[in-house]
Amino acid sequence: MAEVHLKNLTKRWGDFIGVDDQSLHIADQEFLVLLGPSGCGKTTTMRMIAGLEDPTGGEIWIGDRMVNDDLPKNRDVAMVFQNYGLYPHMTIFDNIAYPLRVRGVAKAEIGPRVEKAAAQVELTEFLHRKPKALSGGQRQRVALARAIVRTPKVFLMDEPLSNLDAKLRVTMRAELKHLSRALKITTVYVTHDQIEAMTLADRVAVMRHGVIQQLGTPDEIYNDPANLFVAGFIGSPAMNLINGSVQDGMFVTTGGTRLVKVKAADRARAILGVRADDLTVHEAGQGDIDVTIYAFENTGESTLLTVQWGKQRVIARGDRHLRKDQDDVVGIRLNSDHLYLFDPETEQRIDV
Amino acid sequence: MRDNTLKYLLVLPAVLVVFATAIWPLIEAARLSFTVGRLNRPGSLDQYLGWENYTWAFFEEPAFWNSVWVTAVYTVLTVGLTTILALGLALLLAPGGRLRSAAQTLLILPFAMSPALIGVSFRFMFNPEFGLFDAFFGVVIPPLADVSWLADPTLAFAVVVMADVWGWIPFLTLVLIGGLASVPRDTIEAAQVDGASGWRVFRDVTLPQLGPVLAVVIILKAIFSLKTFDQVFMLTNGGPGTATQTLSHYIYFNGMKYGQIGYSASVAWLMVIPMIFLTYAYAKFVFRKA
Repeated sequence: MAEVHLKNLTKRWGDFIGVDDQSLHIADQEFLVLLGPSGCGKTTTMRMIAGLEDPTGGEIWIGDRMVNDDLPKNRDVAMVFQNYGLYPHMTIFDNIAYPLRVRGVAKAEIGPRVEKAAAQVELTEFLHRKPKALSGGQRQRVALARAIVRTPKVFLMDEPLSNLDAKLRVTMRAELKHLSRALKITTVYVTHDQIEAMTLADRVAVMRHGVIQQLGTPDEIYNDPANLFVAGFIGSPAMNLINGSVQDGMFVTTGGTRLVKVKAADRARAILGVRADDLTVHEAGQGDIDVTIYAFENTGESTLLTVQWGKQRVIARGDRHLRKDQDDVVGIRLNSDHLYLFDPETEQRIDV
Repeated sequence: MRDNTLKYLLVLPAVLVVFATAIWPLIEAARLSFTVGRLNRPGSLDQYLGWENYTWAFFEEPAFWNSVWVTAVYTVLTVGLTTILALGLALLLAPGGRLRSAAQTLLILPFAMSPALIGVSFRFMFNPEFGLFDAFFGVVIPPLADVSWLADPTLAFAVVVMADVWGWIPFLTLVLIGGLASVPRDTIEAAQVDGASGWRVFRDVTLPQLGPVLAVVIILKAIFSLKTFDQVFMLTNGGPGTATQTLSHYIYFNGMKYGQIGYSASVAWLMVIPMIFLTYAYAKFVFRKA
């Protein structure tokens, strides 16, 4: 068990900057998720913690030791790889036992520990098989068991669920969460899936272009996004971003519609962010504004209405019993409690 | 035309070529091996002799067993040395780096040379009077000055082995670099994080996954070592005495030099047997289902 400290961590390949002078403190037993689109530097950050990639600059501390010059094997971390990284020529038992064997754990102790780890991920009956004979979900469990068979200082998980099908991903996510609560080991988890980040994390670091955009609890990054990128990245469907200006305390769309009161000084250009859930759907004439439906989608648990709003399209979430069709006209009302204003130049949030 | 008929028609030319250049000579050699088969005796090519050529080779001819022994030692040494050196080189060259493509180009050079040319150039290099080897090592290590490398049975054998290893390392290295590249990086990194040292990663993770490629390399090299002829012919011509006389050279000598075509056909057929085993093993590895 240990804290992880990244101090001014930088990784460059020639002119390309993978991670740009980032500092991050991960508390003991914390579950921290690095979230971002591909190429944002999240995996590179994790690989530097593991020792699989050498930083160009900065320091990595695990516990009270600077590990920059330590080989991966001496860092006492366990890692789960996206493609599982199982040893194809070994049985499941040998795969799970490998970290113990190379660390010289006594033979008599290996058996029980492997059994215990296998039981924790429900693999007991597969121990004699080879990875080839297992399904994707089972292989992922083997990778997990191999990580939890010893008690490392830090768990590193590199998109561990991204190779699983959607249904299995949900199940495994819950199992991961349960397991991490039980094990109480500092965990760094890399993903591009915001649902995984929201559900698993104690804190989320949203990254882009090698820079952490926002660091906060899932609540904070969802309800209090620091900038346009975080606002647009978190949430499904993505937050609606409407171009316009602020005049006399009102947000005015580029089309000229005086939309909603905002507590901000007048400015020529602004972007209003509003989530689909904060746009309520009403019969035509009963909302703030009437719009035409561009597409109507029924997802089962709710309905999604993509509507044409002047030159823009926005998405609103409707009741699951709502039935409309393309080209129908509906009224839309904005929930003014959850509006976000952004500066289009700096992309930063404007305090409302 | 039915697809089935067309299928066979399309492979027919290739089958005919193989038949004419490989199957037919094999059959004819098998027939000859049971005849008196003297090139200087008219009619002897059709004079049936039974198994006498084979029993002669087995029981009456120490030179045959000598060349079997030479070939066996030669094969074991060249296969072993080439594979180990090539694997080492492949490991050095496999992970990125700027030298890589340049080094690979240089590497392929010896392989681009014909074995006969390698034989000739090594004969020059080991010449005790004006050879490169003598000029260099003779000065650095004085006891090696003016040694007649190719006149001493053991040294000559070593030189033949060295020439072969030198010529074959590049090809094996390239194949093994390819093999190493196909070992999933994930598994190697997983082992590193799991706590394995560099050597253990290689032993426990890389090598087992390289196994099939390594098997193909070893079998292929064994086939080529067994039939070595060119280098021996150019470098030592089997000598001194019969110290470097491989089976191929022995067959050539008896058949072409002494005109005992029936006898050399029988020895050639004896050589076919291990070849069939090796070829079968090779095909099994190459065409195995993933």
